[in-house]
Amino acid sequence: MNLPNNNFLYLKPVSVLLSILLLAGCQPQLPETARSGLVYCSEGSPESFNPQLVTSGTTIDIISQQLYDRLVDISPDNGDIIPGLATDWQVSADGTRYQFSLRDDVSFHTTRYFSPSRKFNARDVVFTFNRITDPLHPFHLQGGGVYPYFQSVDWAGLVKQVQAIDEHTVVFELQRPDSSFMSNLTTDFAAILSAEYAEQLLAEKQPAQMDRLPVGTGPFRFREYQKDILVRLYRNNDYWRGDTQPEQLVFDIVPNNARRMAKLFTHECDIVSYPRVAELELIAARPDVTVQESTSMNVGFWAFNTQKPPFDQLAVRQALSMAINRAAILQAVYYGKATPAYGILPPTSWAYNDGLPAPVYSPAKAKALLAEAGYPNGFTMDIWAMPVQRLYNPNALKMAELMQADLAQIGVRANIVSYEWNSFRQKLGNFEHDSVLIGWAADNPDPDNFFSPLLSCAARDTGTNRANWCDPLFDDIISQALLTADQQQRRALYLAAQQYLHQQQPLVAIAHSQRFQAISSSVSGVSINPYGGISLQHATRVEP
Amino acid sequence: MSKFRLYLEENNRSPVKQLWREFKRQHSAMTGLVLFITFFFISVLAPFITPHDPYLQVDELLLLPPSWSAAGLVQYPFGTDDLGRDLLSRMIKGTSYTFGFALITVAGALIMGLVLGALAGMSKGVKSSVFNHILDLALTIPSLLLAIIIVAVIGPGLMNTTWAIMVALLPQFVHGIRNAIDEELKQDYVIAYRLDGANSWQVLTRLILPNIWEKLTIMATMAISTAILDIAALGFLGFGAQAPLSEWGAMISDSLDLIYLAPSSVAIPGLLIFTAVLSVNLVGDGLKTAILKRRQN
Amino acid sequence: MTRYLFRRLFLMAFVFLALSLLAFSLGYLFPGDVAQNLSGLRQIDESQRQQLINYYQLDQNILQQYLAFLSRIAHGDWGLSFASQQPLLQEIKLLLPATLELACYALLLSFVVGIPLGIVAAFKPDSIVGKSISGLAMVGYSLPIFWWGLLLIMFFSLALGWLPSAGRIGVLYEIPHSSGFMLVDIMQADISYRSEALYSALLHLLLPTIVLATFPTTVMIRFVREAMLNVWEQNYIKTARAKGLNRGQVLYRHGLRNALLPVIRQIGLQFSTLITLAMLTEVIFSWPGIGRWLIDSIYQRNYPAIQAGLLVISTMVITINMLTEILHAFFNPLARRG
Repeated sequence: MNLPNNNFLYLKPVSVLLSILLLAGCQPQLPETARSGLVYCSEGSPESFNPQLVTSGTTIDIISQQLYDRLVDISPDNGDIIPGLATDWQVSADGTRYQFSLRDDVSFHTTRYFSPSRKFNARDVVFTFNRITDPLHPFHLQGGGVYPYFQSVDWAGLVKQVQAIDEHTVVFELQRPDSSFMSNLTTDFAAILSAEYAEQLLAEKQPAQMDRLPVGTGPFRFREYQKDILVRLYRNNDYWRGDTQPEQLVFDIVPNNARRMAKLFTHECDIVSYPRVAELELIAARPDVTVQESTSMNVGFWAFNTQKPPFDQLAVRQALSMAINRAAILQAVYYGKATPAYGILPPTSWAYNDGLPAPVYSPAKAKALLAEAGYPNGFTMDIWAMPVQRLYNPNALKMAELMQADLAQIGVRANIVSYEWNSFRQKLGNFEHDSVLIGWAADNPDPDNFFSPLLSCAARDTGTNRANWCDPLFDDIISQALLTADQQQRRALYLAAQQYLHQQQPLVAIAHSQRFQAISSSVSGVSINPYGGISLQHATRVEP
Repeated sequence: MSKFRLYLEENNRSPVKQLWREFKRQHSAMTGLVLFITFFFISVLAPFITPHDPYLQVDELLLLPPSWSAAGLVQYPFGTDDLGRDLLSRMIKGTSYTFGFALITVAGALIMGLVLGALAGMSKGVKSSVFNHILDLALTIPSLLLAIIIVAVIGPGLMNTTWAIMVALLPQFVHGIRNAIDEELKQDYVIAYRLDGANSWQVLTRLILPNIWEKLTIMATMAISTAILDIAALGFLGFGAQAPLSEWGAMISDSLDLIYLAPSSVAIPGLLIFTAVLSVNLVGDGLKTAILKRRQN
Repeated sequence: MTRYLFRRLFLMAFVFLALSLLAFSLGYLFPGDVAQNLSGLRQIDESQRQQLINYYQLDQNILQQYLAFLSRIAHGDWGLSFASQQPLLQEIKLLLPATLELACYALLLSFVVGIPLGIVAAFKPDSIVGKSISGLAMVGYSLPIFWWGLLLIMFFSLALGWLPSAGRIGVLYEIPHSSGFMLVDIMQADISYRSEALYSALLHLLLPTIVLATFPTTVMIRFVREAMLNVWEQNYIKTARAKGLNRGQVLYRHGLRNALLPVIRQIGLQFSTLITLAMLTEVIFSWPGIGRWLIDSIYQRNYPAIQAGLLVISTMVITINMLTEILHAFFNPLARRG
């Protein structure tokens, strides 16, 4: 940073400090660790350092791609499944037995708290997945025993056992064929943990440390976490894919949008997650910052707690859906950078139902429906709005304010409720809400990713089903679709599922948004996975 | 006054008139007073003088710049916010919340303070000593901190904030009033009046109150500026007025996200808070000087 | 003096008793389950609940519960934070130095700037210099601090790009934590980039310190100015003038000592204001101190944390207040009465 010293002099109070600065040397050179280090300004703190335990995109962005690897990955170019820690795999004819051959040259991280004595092998894979499915596993109950993503796709009911055939071969035996099994393995949640580290922690009687001080195989290793301040990672010099660029990677936690942008403009951050859509043009006009746009599969929605009256009545849900002016929301909240959602699945999915009718905006009809349902004078309800900006909803509080005004038209008095992000999600998980503005971003290209984790009965038990909705008919359709390997048949089932959701309205889909990333012009090589977290392995600072 | 004067009427003017004469001489204090009165009328008349409905969201006019820039409209002098609401109307309405509620808060605290202060000042012994110690504790905790804690217990909202600040301001009122009464009680005329057979109530209402009102006024003005700053600070932190209320502090925190797109929506409400506090402080300082000068004459 | 000290200490004991009662009752006043509010555990199952009831003596009478509370506080068991499920005392220990560091520099700045300006303003109250200092003090006194902080950030960070907008130090500098005071830690750390880190830390300190110091500085100016003007009216000054000393000599030999004595008491009073304003400053500048933590705790309805934060901040404020009172009385025998 260049110090234009004579301009400072009129600031009388600082002249004392300033003279110290001047004595200390005018233009300090950045040290090596800082010069090749990168700062990513994140919108929230990680909830845990084990991807198995979380669903929030914030956490996934920070930990998954940087610290861990998966057995298989998705090619960002065409969505195909490509090798990760597994070099190749075979599926049995009936689709219930998957055999993976593993790499033999992968090491886990060496950190201040763990030094591996062996390479990655089949035991690590068995440990990783048994932790999720085996209730008696010593680590199963660590972190509450809830594995939200895996439970929402009923992983424990699907995987009969995971077996190490030899040092580098592992076999998954399934109860039934499942067309989304491989896709689920590619998600950021299916990160491979170290069995040796786990044994060490058990011996030390510190099992809780497993999810706090992570050990993975990824391009970066963990250094420190200061709660609500930063996460510091160092380069893993022995990374099996080689050539990780940044020596140091710091996730600076800045929940406030405006502040995150300020840090980008003052060069305190190199990469900023979720720049505000409103300011994209402003950012793009700056020479020192570039904006990356990428398509992403996501949906922002308004979910009702369908177990709570009056939201258990279909007519009420329909009325509320009709009362909100989506066009205004798309303009004011998404600034036109999103497509209106007719249903939960984005149009880019192969199972998209383009026969769904466009949503209606009609306060008059809504009022009539409410009267029919027994609320001619409306009622009072809470709208919970996420405190942070997410891909699928750049400003939930603003959206809530717009909806508050819309709902007032039909006599519904809405209170806006918001908590800090982690408490917000906890309270949502306990279904303390009436309705909530939230959404979902895909973890893999499989259409099931939008149904099972969001609206199945299994997902209700894990709390990711924000509508608190459990409908046997709907569950039937989506589990049928999973049993089917034929894409045409699956598609037909998913079309039916979307039609059914449209009738039942457990949630009101609002928009499918683009994903944006603002990056300092001096940084290149940042890649965004359309189905999940960001990867910073190849990010480099280009000296101007 | 050794100098001979032909007409003595001047010295017989009522204290209020004398005070006003001294006050009027100070330009800064007069400016403050004019501003204060303006704010007062705006906050009372707010519902009738807003050019638009402050809560009406006009979808076609999002983030309209102020009228002095090329893209602005004359009908919206300060432009609109990101929901298409008229900023001028919101700021006028906000005067009621920030300035008006500050006045109400202080009035409430003053009345409660008078009661408690009179009780404390007129009583003696252990009761008074315990009371004073509790007061000392409350006085060491800054009013904003106390208000924040109270809000944490009773929950956010403009009404709760008002209560919280009222309670938070109370100790300094009680303390000040008690001390003032204490001082008065030592005066000879009080003793004389008591010897005439007056009871405590008569002493309080006939002698003490008329003699401490100057101190009360100064205390109240200082409290108003604290109250405005505290209401705005709590609003800014999100503990005070909740959306969609257009309290000034809350407006600043709402517009924080727009700091690049519409810097004026951050700057103007802040300027209003500043002006309001400044006007109160100018009046307070002017009063102080005027009282001092009146006493000296 | 001994009697005075004794009386003060008695008062302090009383104040702490009242404070502990307040903090104790908060656990019951807050909405929600008392056992949760006290322990900070998010979910409590039945067997745990029985344990907690025994531990907190919730089945005993209220006096027993209060005594149990006192002994827990004394033993350092302050419960867990709802948000992080970490022991609160440990979290506070990490955060408190950051706030103290900021508050100390701001207090220092307010004295270094405020006292001389106050003296100058009182020396010639009707001159242009005197009037403009008073005017500036009035302006600073009326500024809403959060808005002032934003303005400075907008100007120095965003428009000019000279100063960082948030945090204590550039995040790429890893400073091992020892004392918690950033500058001290940097000096103690065994790192190759010490001077760069120090430079970065000082740049980060600049804006928050100025913002936090603004209000106390103006209070200081007004206070010193008034005290000086008051002293000026005293008979001993008039005597000194009559003896033939000039204005400067009188000021130096008689005025300053008498006018600045009450300033000692201001340290205590200013400190409590500073701690409150520090909460706002920390929020504006994302300064990782106890103020921001307390505000976040309120957002999160983190009741155990609010209770602990109140206890720590109030204890600090009261202690410093008392200490400065005693110090003041030590220098000024008149203050020992009453």
